[in-house]
Amino acid sequence: MYDDSPLLRDALKAAHATSWAELARPGAFLTGAQRLAAVSATRAAADCALCARQRGALSPFTVTGTHDSSVEDTTGPTLGASLVDMIHRLSTDPGRLTRAWFDEAIAAGISVETYVELVSLVTTSVIVDTLHRSLGLALPDLPEPIAGNPTGEKNPDPVDNGAWLPVLAAAQDLAESGLPTVPNIVRAMGLVPSAVTLFFRTFRPHYQLKDIKLAISQAQAEFIAARVSSLNECFY
Amino acid sequence: MLLRASGQQDERDYDLNTVTRGEGDSGVPHSDLLRSLTEQTIRAEWSLLADTRARAGTIMGEQQMVDALTVAAAFNGITRVADATGIPLDDNTQAVTVAMRASMGIDEYAYAVKSARFS
Repeated sequence: MYDDSPLLRDALKAAHATSWAELARPGAFLTGAQRLAAVSATRAAADCALCARQRGALSPFTVTGTHDSSVEDTTGPTLGASLVDMIHRLSTDPGRLTRAWFDEAIAAGISVETYVELVSLVTTSVIVDTLHRSLGLALPDLPEPIAGNPTGEKNPDPVDNGAWLPVLAAAQDLAESGLPTVPNIVRAMGLVPSAVTLFFRTFRPHYQLKDIKLAISQAQAEFIAARVSSLNECFY
Repeated sequence: MLLRASGQQDERDYDLNTVTRGEGDSGVPHSDLLRSLTEQTIRAEWSLLADTRARAGTIMGEQQMVDALTVAAAFNGITRVADATGIPLDDNTQAVTVAMRASMGIDEYAYAVKSARFS
Protein backbone atom coordinates (compact mmCIF):
# COMPACT_ATOMS: atom_id res chain seq x y z
CA MET A 1 0.00 0.00 0.00
CA TYR A 2 1.29 3.46 -1.01
CA ASP A 3 4.50 1.98 -2.47
CA ASP A 4 4.73 4.84 -4.99
CA SER A 5 3.88 7.63 -2.56
CA PRO A 6 7.14 8.84 -1.03
CA LEU A 7 5.52 12.00 0.35
CA LEU A 8 3.22 10.05 2.66
CA ARG A 9 4.77 9.54 6.04
CA ASP A 10 5.96 6.10 7.11
CA ALA A 11 3.82 6.08 10.25
CA LEU A 12 0.68 6.64 8.19
CA LYS A 13 1.62 3.94 5.70
CA ALA A 14 2.29 1.45 8.49
CA ALA A 15 -0.93 2.29 10.32
CA HIS A 16 -3.04 1.94 7.20
CA ALA A 17 -1.41 -1.36 6.29
CA THR A 18 -2.13 -2.72 9.76
CA SER A 19 -5.74 -1.54 9.69
CA TRP A 20 -6.28 -2.91 6.19
CA ALA A 21 -5.08 -6.35 7.26
CA GLU A 22 -7.29 -6.16 10.35
CA LEU A 23 -10.40 -5.73 8.22
CA ALA A 24 -10.08 -9.37 7.21
CA ARG A 25 -9.96 -10.77 10.74
CA PRO A 26 -13.00 -11.70 12.78
CA GLY A 27 -14.15 -8.64 14.69
CA ALA A 28 -16.15 -8.30 17.86
CA PHE A 29 -19.54 -8.98 16.27
CA LEU A 30 -18.87 -9.65 12.58
CA THR A 31 -16.85 -12.33 10.81
CA GLY A 32 -13.90 -11.43 8.64
CA ALA A 33 -15.97 -12.09 5.52
CA GLN A 34 -18.78 -9.86 6.78
CA ARG A 35 -16.34 -7.09 7.63
CA LEU A 36 -14.89 -7.19 4.14
CA ALA A 37 -18.39 -7.23 2.68
CA ALA A 38 -19.06 -4.05 4.63
CA VAL A 39 -16.02 -2.38 3.10
CA SER A 40 -17.06 -3.60 -0.32
CA ALA A 41 -20.56 -2.15 0.22
CA THR A 42 -18.99 1.16 1.25
CA ARG A 43 -17.18 1.27 -2.08
CA ALA A 44 -20.30 0.28 -4.01
CA ALA A 45 -22.22 3.13 -2.40
CA ALA A 46 -20.18 5.70 -4.30
CA ASP A 47 -21.88 4.72 -7.57
CA CYS A 48 -25.23 3.57 -6.19
CA ALA A 49 -28.24 4.90 -8.11
CA LEU A 50 -30.56 4.71 -5.10
CA CYS A 51 -28.09 6.66 -2.98
CA ALA A 52 -27.95 9.33 -5.69
CA ARG A 53 -31.74 9.63 -5.67
CA GLN A 54 -31.82 9.82 -1.89
CA ARG A 55 -29.21 12.54 -1.88
CA GLY A 56 -31.33 14.52 -4.33
CA ALA A 57 -34.46 14.28 -2.20
CA LEU A 58 -35.48 16.87 0.39
CA SER A 59 -35.51 14.06 2.92
CA PRO A 60 -33.41 10.95 2.23
CA PHE A 61 -35.99 8.81 3.98
CA THR A 62 -38.73 9.49 1.43
CA VAL A 63 -36.89 7.50 -1.25
CA THR A 64 -36.73 3.72 -0.88
CA GLY A 65 -35.52 0.87 -3.05
CA THR A 66 -32.64 -1.52 -3.42
CA HIS A 67 -29.05 -0.37 -3.23
CA ASP A 68 -26.60 -1.31 -5.95
CA SER A 69 -24.18 -4.04 -4.99
CA SER A 70 -20.58 -4.54 -5.90
CA VAL A 71 -19.29 -7.76 -7.43
CA GLU A 72 -18.00 -8.76 -4.01
CA ASP A 73 -21.45 -8.19 -2.48
CA THR A 74 -23.16 -10.47 -4.95
CA THR A 75 -20.64 -13.28 -4.82
CA GLY A 76 -19.59 -13.08 -1.21
CA PRO A 77 -21.31 -13.20 2.17
CA THR A 78 -24.59 -11.39 2.47
CA LEU A 79 -24.98 -8.66 5.02
CA GLY A 80 -28.71 -8.34 4.59
CA ALA A 81 -30.64 -5.39 3.22
CA SER A 82 -30.82 -3.52 6.53
CA LEU A 83 -27.08 -3.50 7.08
CA VAL A 84 -26.39 -2.61 3.45
CA ASP A 85 -28.83 0.30 3.70
CA MET A 86 -27.10 1.46 6.86
CA ILE A 87 -23.69 1.30 5.20
CA HIS A 88 -24.82 3.14 2.08
CA ARG A 89 -26.49 5.96 4.02
CA LEU A 90 -23.48 6.36 6.24
CA SER A 91 -21.21 6.38 3.21
CA THR A 92 -23.07 8.78 0.94
CA ASP A 93 -25.32 11.00 3.07
CA PRO A 94 -23.96 11.04 6.62
CA GLY A 95 -25.03 14.59 7.33
CA ARG A 96 -28.69 13.67 7.16
CA LEU A 97 -28.73 10.64 9.45
CA THR A 98 -31.24 11.05 12.25
CA ARG A 99 -31.95 9.71 15.69
CA ALA A 100 -35.23 8.27 14.45
CA TRP A 101 -33.44 6.38 11.68
CA PHE A 102 -30.94 4.97 14.17
CA ASP A 103 -33.67 3.97 16.63
CA GLU A 104 -35.65 2.23 13.88
CA ALA A 105 -32.61 0.27 12.77
CA ILE A 106 -31.95 -0.93 16.28
CA ALA A 107 -35.62 -1.74 16.86
CA ALA A 108 -35.56 -3.79 13.66
CA GLY A 109 -32.97 -6.09 15.18
CA ILE A 110 -29.50 -4.73 14.46
CA SER A 111 -27.55 -4.76 17.71
CA VAL A 112 -25.96 -1.52 18.81
CA GLU A 113 -22.64 -3.32 19.06
CA THR A 114 -22.85 -4.50 15.44
CA TYR A 115 -23.78 -0.97 14.42
CA VAL A 116 -20.70 0.42 16.15
CA GLU A 117 -18.46 -2.12 14.45
CA LEU A 118 -19.96 -1.19 11.10
CA VAL A 119 -19.42 2.51 11.74
CA SER A 120 -15.77 1.81 12.45
CA LEU A 121 -15.36 -0.30 9.30
CA VAL A 122 -17.09 2.21 7.05
CA THR A 123 -15.25 5.22 8.41
CA THR A 124 -11.88 3.50 8.36
CA SER A 125 -12.31 2.47 4.76
CA VAL A 126 -13.57 5.96 3.88
CA ILE A 127 -10.31 7.42 5.16
CA VAL A 128 -8.13 4.93 3.30
CA ASP A 129 -10.09 5.12 0.06
CA THR A 130 -10.46 8.91 0.17
CA LEU A 131 -6.72 9.29 0.55
CA HIS A 132 -6.05 6.92 -2.34
CA ARG A 133 -8.54 8.61 -4.65
CA SER A 134 -7.45 12.11 -3.74
CA LEU A 135 -3.84 11.27 -4.55
CA GLY A 136 -4.84 9.64 -7.84
CA LEU A 137 -3.92 6.16 -6.64
CA ALA A 138 -5.77 2.92 -7.45
CA LEU A 139 -7.80 1.64 -4.53
CA PRO A 140 -6.09 -1.14 -2.57
CA ASP A 141 -7.38 -4.66 -3.10
CA LEU A 142 -9.31 -6.15 -0.22
CA PRO A 143 -7.45 -8.86 1.69
CA GLU A 144 -8.68 -12.43 1.84
CA PRO A 145 -11.01 -13.06 4.80
CA ILE A 146 -9.63 -14.92 7.78
CA ALA A 147 -11.89 -17.60 9.18
CA GLY A 148 -13.07 -17.57 12.76
CA ASN A 149 -15.84 -16.44 15.03
CA PRO A 150 -16.36 -12.90 16.30
CA THR A 151 -14.92 -12.34 19.76
CA GLY A 152 -18.03 -10.78 21.27
CA GLU A 153 -15.82 -8.35 23.18
CA LYS A 154 -17.58 -5.21 24.32
CA ASN A 155 -17.21 -2.55 26.94
CA PRO A 156 -19.09 -3.75 30.03
CA ASP A 157 -19.52 -0.28 31.50
CA PRO A 158 -20.54 2.24 28.86
CA VAL A 159 -22.37 5.42 29.86
CA ASP A 160 -25.06 7.68 28.43
CA ASN A 161 -23.67 11.11 27.56
CA GLY A 162 -26.54 12.21 25.34
CA ALA A 163 -25.34 10.43 22.20
CA TRP A 164 -27.61 8.05 20.32
CA LEU A 165 -25.81 5.10 21.87
CA PRO A 166 -23.82 4.25 25.01
CA VAL A 167 -20.27 5.59 24.95
CA LEU A 168 -16.97 5.19 26.75
CA ALA A 169 -16.88 6.54 30.31
CA ALA A 170 -14.11 9.12 30.65
CA ALA A 171 -13.08 11.99 32.88
CA GLN A 172 -13.80 15.41 31.44
CA ASP A 173 -10.58 17.20 32.44
CA LEU A 174 -9.71 19.89 29.94
CA ALA A 175 -6.53 19.72 27.89
CA GLU A 176 -4.69 22.80 26.60
CA SER A 177 -6.73 22.64 23.39
CA GLY A 178 -9.90 23.44 25.33
CA LEU A 179 -11.22 19.96 24.62
CA PRO A 180 -11.45 17.24 27.26
CA THR A 181 -8.46 14.92 27.42
CA VAL A 182 -10.83 12.28 26.03
CA PRO A 183 -13.18 14.20 23.70
CA ASN A 184 -16.63 12.87 22.91
CA ILE A 185 -15.52 11.86 19.42
CA VAL A 186 -13.05 9.41 20.98
CA ARG A 187 -15.76 8.11 23.32
CA ALA A 188 -18.36 7.68 20.58
CA MET A 189 -17.54 4.09 19.56
CA GLY A 190 -16.40 3.11 23.05
CA LEU A 191 -19.05 0.41 23.32
CA VAL A 192 -16.78 -1.78 21.15
CA PRO A 193 -13.11 -1.28 22.03
CA SER A 194 -11.79 -2.90 18.85
CA ALA A 195 -13.85 -0.44 16.79
CA VAL A 196 -12.12 2.46 18.53
CA THR A 197 -8.70 0.91 18.00
CA LEU A 198 -9.26 0.26 14.30
CA PHE A 199 -10.54 3.74 13.54
CA PHE A 200 -8.13 5.82 15.57
CA ARG A 201 -5.09 3.81 14.52
CA THR A 202 -6.01 4.81 10.99
CA PHE A 203 -6.92 8.41 11.81
CA ARG A 204 -4.15 9.51 14.17
CA PRO A 205 -1.23 9.73 11.71
CA HIS A 206 -3.32 12.21 9.69
CA TYR A 207 -3.85 14.91 12.28
CA GLN A 208 -2.97 16.15 15.75
CA LEU A 209 -4.86 18.67 17.89
CA LYS A 210 -1.69 20.69 18.48
CA ASP A 211 1.89 20.83 17.23
CA ILE A 212 0.81 19.11 14.05
CA LYS A 213 3.56 17.03 12.45
CA LEU A 214 2.80 17.98 8.87
CA ALA A 215 4.20 20.44 6.35
CA ILE A 216 1.06 22.55 6.63
CA SER A 217 0.39 24.71 9.68
CA GLN A 218 -2.06 23.94 12.45
CA ALA A 219 -4.31 26.71 11.15
CA GLN A 220 -4.26 25.29 7.63
CA ALA A 221 -5.14 21.84 8.98
CA GLU A 222 -8.00 23.30 11.04
CA PHE A 223 -9.25 25.21 8.00
CA ILE A 224 -9.40 21.97 6.00
CA ALA A 225 -11.02 20.09 8.89
CA ALA A 226 -13.63 22.78 9.34
CA ARG A 227 -14.38 22.90 5.62
CA VAL A 228 -14.87 19.11 5.51
CA SER A 229 -17.19 19.33 8.51
CA SER A 230 -19.19 22.03 6.77
CA LEU A 231 -19.43 20.11 3.49
CA ASN A 232 -20.53 16.99 5.33
CA GLU A 233 -22.91 19.06 7.48
CA CYS A 234 -21.35 17.63 10.62
CA PHE A 235 -22.40 19.36 13.83
CA TYR A 236 -19.58 18.06 16.01
CA MET B 1 -13.43 26.25 17.50
CA LEU B 2 -10.00 24.82 16.73
CA LEU B 3 -9.47 27.19 13.81
CA ARG B 4 -10.32 30.08 16.10
CA ALA B 5 -7.86 28.69 18.65
CA SER B 6 -5.20 28.49 15.96
CA GLY B 7 -5.84 32.13 15.13
CA GLN B 8 -5.33 33.09 18.75
CA GLN B 9 -2.15 31.04 18.84
CA ASP B 10 -0.88 32.70 15.66
CA GLU B 11 -2.17 36.12 16.79
CA ARG B 12 -4.25 36.23 13.61
CA ASP B 13 -7.94 36.88 13.21
CA TYR B 14 -9.10 34.26 10.74
CA ASP B 15 -12.47 34.81 9.07
CA LEU B 16 -14.37 31.74 10.24
CA ASN B 17 -17.40 32.57 8.11
CA THR B 18 -15.43 31.70 4.99
CA VAL B 19 -15.52 28.09 6.13
CA THR B 20 -19.28 27.74 5.88
CA ARG B 21 -19.66 30.28 3.05
CA GLY B 22 -17.18 28.39 0.92
CA GLU B 23 -15.64 31.54 -0.49
CA GLY B 24 -13.59 34.54 0.54
CA ASP B 25 -10.20 35.05 2.09
CA SER B 26 -10.02 33.36 5.48
CA GLY B 27 -6.59 34.76 6.24
CA VAL B 28 -5.17 31.24 6.37
CA PRO B 29 -2.25 30.97 3.93
CA HIS B 30 -3.24 29.40 0.59
CA SER B 31 -6.84 29.04 1.74
CA ASP B 32 -8.16 29.18 -1.83
CA LEU B 33 -6.04 26.21 -2.81
CA LEU B 34 -6.80 24.37 0.40
CA ARG B 35 -10.50 24.96 -0.18
CA SER B 36 -10.31 23.60 -3.74
CA LEU B 37 -8.35 20.54 -2.67
CA THR B 38 -10.80 19.87 0.14
CA GLU B 39 -14.02 20.49 -1.76
CA GLN B 40 -12.99 18.44 -4.78
CA THR B 41 -11.95 15.58 -2.50
CA ILE B 42 -15.17 15.54 -0.51
CA ARG B 43 -17.30 15.96 -3.63
CA ALA B 44 -15.34 13.19 -5.40
CA GLU B 45 -14.45 15.49 -8.30
CA TRP B 46 -11.40 13.46 -9.16
CA SER B 47 -10.68 14.91 -12.61
CA LEU B 48 -10.80 18.47 -11.32
CA LEU B 49 -8.72 17.44 -8.35
CA ALA B 50 -5.93 16.13 -10.59
CA ASP B 51 -5.50 19.63 -12.02
CA THR B 52 -5.73 21.25 -8.60
CA ARG B 53 -3.10 18.87 -7.22
CA ALA B 54 -0.71 19.93 -9.96
CA ARG B 55 -1.37 23.62 -9.33
CA ALA B 56 -1.11 23.24 -5.56
CA GLY B 57 2.11 21.27 -5.86
CA THR B 58 3.66 24.11 -7.83
CA ILE B 59 2.41 26.93 -5.62
CA MET B 60 2.42 25.39 -2.14
CA GLY B 61 4.88 22.57 -2.63
CA GLU B 62 4.27 18.86 -3.14
CA GLN B 63 4.58 17.92 0.53
CA GLN B 64 2.10 20.58 1.62
CA MET B 65 -0.33 19.47 -1.06
CA VAL B 66 -0.13 15.84 0.04
CA ASP B 67 -0.49 16.78 3.70
CA ALA B 68 -3.56 18.88 2.95
CA LEU B 69 -5.19 15.89 1.26
CA THR B 70 -4.15 13.73 4.20
CA VAL B 71 -6.10 15.94 6.59
CA ALA B 72 -9.13 16.10 4.28
CA ALA B 73 -9.27 12.29 4.04
CA ALA B 74 -9.11 11.93 7.81
CA PHE B 75 -12.00 14.31 8.42
CA ASN B 76 -14.07 12.67 5.70
CA GLY B 77 -13.98 9.66 8.00
CA ILE B 78 -14.27 11.19 11.43
CA THR B 79 -17.23 13.41 10.58
CA ARG B 80 -19.11 10.19 9.79
CA VAL B 81 -18.28 8.81 13.24
CA ALA B 82 -19.89 11.89 14.78
CA ASP B 83 -22.89 11.84 12.44
CA ALA B 84 -23.49 8.11 12.95
CA THR B 85 -23.45 8.32 16.73
CA GLY B 86 -25.09 11.68 17.39
CA ILE B 87 -22.49 12.60 19.95
CA PRO B 88 -23.03 15.92 21.71
CA LEU B 89 -20.49 18.71 21.65
CA ASP B 90 -17.97 18.57 24.44
CA ASP B 91 -19.17 20.71 27.35
CA ASN B 92 -16.54 23.43 27.00
CA THR B 93 -17.02 23.63 23.25
CA GLN B 94 -20.76 23.89 23.77
CA ALA B 95 -20.24 26.75 26.19
CA VAL B 96 -17.74 28.87 24.30
CA THR B 97 -19.12 28.54 20.76
CA VAL B 98 -22.72 29.69 21.25
CA ALA B 99 -22.35 32.94 19.30
CA MET B 100 -20.04 31.43 16.68
CA ARG B 101 -22.38 28.52 15.95
CA ALA B 102 -25.31 30.86 15.56
CA SER B 103 -23.52 33.34 13.29
CA MET B 104 -22.02 30.63 11.08
CA GLY B 105 -25.21 28.61 10.76
CA ILE B 106 -23.66 25.58 12.43
CA ASP B 107 -26.67 25.12 14.71
CA GLU B 108 -28.59 24.04 11.62
CA TYR B 109 -26.46 20.89 11.66
CA ALA B 110 -27.39 20.00 15.25
CA TYR B 111 -28.57 16.41 15.43
CA ALA B 112 -31.88 17.33 17.03
CA VAL B 113 -32.50 19.91 14.32
CA LYS B 114 -31.64 17.49 11.52
CA SER B 115 -33.70 14.74 13.11
CA ALA B 116 -36.73 17.02 13.15
CA ARG B 117 -36.12 18.21 9.59
CA PHE B 118 -35.51 14.88 7.86
CA SER B 119 -37.56 12.34 9.83
